[in-house]
Order: sequence, then C-alpha cells, then structure tokens
Amino acid sequence: MHKLLVLALVGACGAAVAQTPATNPMPDGSRDMYVGLGVQSLPRYDGARHNKTLALPVLQVQWSNGIFVSGLSAGWHLSNSPSWEYGPLLALAPRRDEDGISGGLGGVGDGSGGGAGATSILPGDGGIVPGGPDKLSKSGNPLLGMDVIQRRILYGGFSNYYLTPALRLSNNLLYGAGNGHDGLRLHTALQYMLPNALPHHSFVLSAGVSVVNSAYSNAYFGVSPRENERNRIGAFRAGGGVHDVRLGVRWNWALSPSWMLTSGAQATRLLGDAKDSPLTERPNNWTVSTALAYRF
Amino acid sequence: MKIKTLIPTVLLALGLGVQGCALAQDGEWVSYRDAYKAMVVFAKYGKPKNLLQMHYQLSPQEAATSLDGVSLSLNGKTVQLNLPLDPTGRTSFPLLKAAYDENAVLALNRKASLFAFHPRLSLAVRADGAYDAAELRAACEQALQYQRYVNAAFGARKCVGVRFVYQKKAEAVLQLRDGGRETLLPSVDGAAFDGDAGAGFRVVNYRFSDWPERGQVVSPFPPLALAPLFD
Repeated sequence: MHKLLVLALVGACGAAVAQTPATNPMPDGSRDMYVGLGVQSLPRYDGARHNKTLALPVLQVQWSNGIFVSGLSAGWHLSNSPSWEYGPLLALAPRRDEDGISGGLGGVGDGSGGGAGATSILPGDGGIVPGGPDKLSKSGNPLLGMDVIQRRILYGGFSNYYLTPALRLSNNLLYGAGNGHDGLRLHTALQYMLPNALPHHSFVLSAGVSVVNSAYSNAYFGVSPRENERNRIGAFRAGGGVHDVRLGVRWNWALSPSWMLTSGAQATRLLGDAKDSPLTERPNNWTVSTALAYRF
Repeated sequence: MKIKTLIPTVLLALGLGVQGCALAQDGEWVSYRDAYKAMVVFAKYGKPKNLLQMHYQLSPQEAATSLDGVSLSLNGKTVQLNLPLDPTGRTSFPLLKAAYDENAVLALNRKASLFAFHPRLSLAVRADGAYDAAELRAACEQALQYQRYVNAAFGARKCVGVRFVYQKKAEAVLQLRDGGRETLLPSVDGAAFDGDAGAGFRVVNYRFSDWPERGQVVSPFPPLALAPLFD
C-alpha cells in the first residue's frame, strides 16, 4: 500500500494553504521532517493581474503522535484508519496590504491548496491616503486605499477519505476570517496520487472547489463605502457561495534518501462575487513553485 | 536580502543541490521510511489476522525481468541487514526504529525501475501441508477484511478461493480429501499473485464454489505462497 507516500510541497502563500499531509505511521518517538528553500511565483493577491516572485522557505514535520506542521498549517491526525483521516486544523492566513499578500512558508501537501482567510483592519493612518482618491483610482492598483488584512490564525478541521489508495477526497474547513472573525471557508479537492510513476518521482494531480460564507467573501472581495471613499473603485458587497475552482499538480523528485526537489503548479479560477468584485483584475490566477528540501 | 538578489542565490543553491545529490547517490535505493509507512499498517491492524502474513515484495515490472541474483539490503548508519528474497520476490520486512530515525535505505543491486515495491498480503503456510477447507475460507475472509481496511475499493469484492503457488511443476500437487474421496486439482502456469508480471510459477487455484465447504486440502510439497483470490 503505497498510499500517499507521496510528498508534495505546498506552494504556500497565495491565498494561504491549509494542508493535511497523509497520516504517517512511524515508530513511537520518531518524526519525519523536511526543511528547505525555494522560489515561488504567485498572484499579488487573489484576483490580481500580475504575479510576484518570492522566496519559499519549506517546513514540514510529522510526529509519531499524529501532530503535523505543513507550511502555514498545523493539525493532528486523530484517526488510525488508513482509509479515513480527520482531525483539528490550524492555518495562518497571510497579511494583505496594498502591495498584495505577504510571503509564507511551504509545507508538504497536495498542491491543490485549500485557501485560508484573513481579517482586515483599517490602515494605521486612519484611512487618510496621501494624494487623495483620484490618485488611487488612477494608480491601477485596486488594493490602494483598501483596509490592510492582517495575518490571522484560522481554526477548523480536516477530513480526508480514500476512495482507493491512490484517490483521496480531501476536505478542510477553516473559520475565523473577516472583520468579525466569522469568515468560513470549505475547500474540497479530489487528489490522484502517482507515488511511483517513475523511480523516485511521484506526482499528485488535484482538482478542488472552495465554498465560502458571505463574511469571508466580503472580507477579501468586498469594498466598503469607507474604502470606496478612499479609492473610488466602487463599493461592493460580496456574498457567499462557490468561491473558486482549482487544478493543481505536484511533482516530487527524491534525489537521494535525504534530498528532494519538489515543484508544483496550480491554476485557480474565481467564481461568483469574487469574480465580479472590482478588486478582481482577472478571474484566472496561477501559482508555480520549486524548492529543494532536506529530509531529517 | 532583496528578492532580485535572493532569487539567483536560491536557484544557484537548487542547482548545486541537485547536482550534488546526483553525484552523491550511487546505486539504486528505496526509502526505508516510505516502505515502513506502508508495512506498519498490517502490524497495527487490530482485527483477526492470525491466518495471514505480510511481506515486502519486489515485483518485476515485465515478465522478462528475472529475480535471479537480485539482492536487497537495509543500510543505515548503524543498521546493516541483508533481506533475502524468496522466488516470488518477497522478504520479511523489519520494523526498526533505529533504521527509521537514521533515514535508512533499502539498497538494490538492480535498476529500481525494473521493479514495483509494495506490501504483499498472503495466507500463512502450514508446516504439515494439510489445510481444512473451512480454515482456507476463514483465511481468505481475513485477507478480504484487511484489504477492505486499507482500500475502500474492496468493499464489493468477495472471497472466491485460494491460489497455491509452487516453483516447479512436479511439486504442484494439491489433493482435496472429502470423506473417502480424494481428488487431484489441476495445476497451470501462472503468476504467483494478481498483478504480478509473467507466469513463471505453477499454480493451483482452489475455488470455493467448486468444492464442498467441508474437507481437507493437502499439499505434499510446501507451496511458496498461498494467495487469496477475490472477485
């Protein structure tokens, strides 16, 4: 049973990724850890026209008690069943300011990435932007004048079911995004694993969909009247529903027992109010990453 | 460090790392940790499994690939073990914390691409060669329950028999004793296990539906393996 011996580095950041690596039975007191560094190209923010390139630190640790850290996510495998994984999950949502989202941390996951969320606060200057609204509206940066969305810890859980050892239905639910800390996001993905397509090469293909509540959608894609006063892109209230669909591929190349080159790509299409938001420059985004990781 | 400086640095490190790893790693290997994860599932399985056994198997990808001369060993900083393969490519897999913590490798003296590496479930072989028909059914049922535990796709499948695997044609003798009657079951060339490439063994398929639930199945020569058959 080579189920999910596949390791997949998360292209972290982006809309932050809540990853749940497969359960990893090991001797009591042992751990399996990857640490590395790479690069990633990802949208400045969800819906942005342009990508930016960032360094990608990599971290994934799994302990024999079932606790894991994977990129910006941490969780606990509570099930002993090889066909069904579940447990609590925490995720760190990255900051979003006028420059876009901030950098993040890669882990070892599937590459389809369930998005996490974040909450927003007013800028420190109380919303007074030098240059005034006209400058903002002509700047070409929809995030100018928008409230800063701070880093935030989201909490929830995951439940993964293996239809076969190579086919996993992955779900994670995270709560806590938005101004009222009540944004909710469910990400469901179907992941097909090819753990030994070639010796030392493994692949994961994934297709996923995210559903959010209105609090989440409005936090990321809404424009409040106050924000509109600053940037004049048009007030917009985003409702809940299907938020995006994603396709991902992850390729891991075990160069040696200790070194791995992990690369991935993901395409995302925003849907519904997220697509229609004045913050969205284009509904289709893509993320690519590659990193070299050492296995301890 | 600015990103324009950082990116070339990272790419250079990646390139050097890839090249360094390629140079440093001679020979063929499989990660012991990855194999451990697959093999320990059976050890932790809590339902009845007394009639089963689990091995680690190297299966040739193609029928033309031979297992003759193939050797497998466990190599770590402090752990060195030879893992002898039986004619079907199976070996007993040691579950060792030291080897796991050392990130040991399973070293192979052939190209790894020639083989598939996986756990192999089979039924326990009796030393006296005499199997109650009911016991074979129970063993097959245990195997099915385990397969369902690790693979939900087995949910609708059923036990239909047991395959006795022999290396030589002369050894492939399987008798069914039911009361005073004695029947010799036919043998054919075939693969030891479903999914294995090639037909390099002599096998006797004992199908439950063809024979009474009671009786005894006798194998004068010890089979290499007993494989559960599912439909």
